[in-house]
Amino acid sequence: MTIVIDALQYLGYVLIFPGFLFCFLAGMLLCGIDRKLVAKMQKRVGPPILQPFYDFFKLCGKETIIPAAAERNTFMLSPLVGLAALVVIQLFIPVFGFTAFSGIGDIIVILYLLLVPALAMILGGAASGSPYAGVGLSREMVTIISCELPLVLVLLAVAKTVGGAIGTGLCFSLSQIAEYQEVNGSLITKISMLPAAAAMLLLIPGETGSHPFDAAEAETEICEGLLAEYSGAPLGVFKLSHAVKMLSLTSLFVALFLGGLGTGILALDAVLLFLLCALITAASISFVHAFTARLKIEQIFKYYWTVVSLLAAVSLALAWYGL
Amino acid sequence: MFKRLIAERTGKSPWLFHINAGSCNGCDIELVSVLTPRYDAERLGFKLAGSPRHADIVVVTGPVTKQSLPRVLRAISQVPEPRCIVTMGSCPQSGNVFRGSYSIAGPLSKYVPVDVDVAGCAPKPEAIIDGLTLAAKILKEKRGRMN
Ligand code: SF4
Repeated sequence: MTIVIDALQYLGYVLIFPGFLFCFLAGMLLCGIDRKLVAKMQKRVGPPILQPFYDFFKLCGKETIIPAAAERNTFMLSPLVGLAALVVIQLFIPVFGFTAFSGIGDIIVILYLLLVPALAMILGGAASGSPYAGVGLSREMVTIISCELPLVLVLLAVAKTVGGAIGTGLCFSLSQIAEYQEVNGSLITKISMLPAAAAMLLLIPGETGSHPFDAAEAETEICEGLLAEYSGAPLGVFKLSHAVKMLSLTSLFVALFLGGLGTGILALDAVLLFLLCALITAASISFVHAFTARLKIEQIFKYYWTVVSLLAAVSLALAWYGL
Repeated sequence: MFKRLIAERTGKSPWLFHINAGSCNGCDIELVSVLTPRYDAERLGFKLAGSPRHADIVVVTGPVTKQSLPRVLRAISQVPEPRCIVTMGSCPQSGNVFRGSYSIAGPLSKYVPVDVDVAGCAPKPEAIIDGLTLAAKILKEKRGRMN
């Protein structure tokens, strides 16, 4: 009997909260808030906040064209693989005190899973057989490599700080990090963590491929790159993945640096998490989007491997000496 | 119910794909002005798409030269159903000042069914937005008729 109840509980986690349904609603809302804010900053009225939902349902109702040169199964399945990976990430990220799944190494799992959506896009783009996707593919790979080094440094800095405090060396468990922050206050209040938090904020637009760092999907020059051949529902799933990725990264930021603010009531915590995510989206994605022009791919690479990596490395060094 | 949901949303999220079929560039600039802060067509859900596969509404400007005709037809055929075709400016409707030229293959309506014509040389942004919202309505009806 308990097995059945456990199974149902896990099914609830996966499908409803913090799994698929929550990801869908919260991610799309974040995306809508982002678009509205960018419009406001540019003195426009902007689309309704629910616009991403409209777009998604419209795309579901469109004809899906599979190009003659495409590898059919890979082309159709890769959007789903990317979305599934993002939903799994969300299951590992704690909502303050609550975690659906936790383990000793969930930071490392998340690090790997964060690669999957980008790889799924690369795979789908490559399978579409379009030369535009070919250009987008190489740029997407460079973007992944650019973001990887600073992200690992940020995560190491956090792991070292918490691990040093609880005496396990490096702590790669998000639930332990959440517990630590519950007792000792948010990590962002530590001086040594400030550069890492700044680096993470700068990383979020790069990881999600939002505006100044969207060389891989440049619609004006390479016809949206990897997505050039996608239409209908698969395109909708890719757009959804983009929205959910915003949610995953911002809630990862909350889990790493803003833990310990929870109230203990799950529903309230979820709302609080969403509000914090919206705030971080506004600061790191919308604000940057509104006043920058698209960077070239080598500029993206240089920026992440120098400025952002340096910030993260400073934090790691401070954490290493126990500051 | 799901079908109605989709049909309703289709009218609210029309993405545009712009084809220049030998236009003098006047209409192209006017189309971009529709997306500027002053007119902001994005408040109605309009968005410029980079690839014809993402588009719902195809906006054709220019008198459709012989050189561009096969490319225009090919790009239009790549747009997934339901789709709307809007001609912008007097050029694709009648040839305008280029009428009778040896290099013109237009008007566009000889080759594809056109849903909305926005006349003018170049049309005012208000007229363009009006034409595009009409196209969005037609789009919604077309989606409703699909199974
Ligand atoms: S209608 Fe007028 S402005 Fe537009 S392309 Fe033709 S000549 Fe140029």
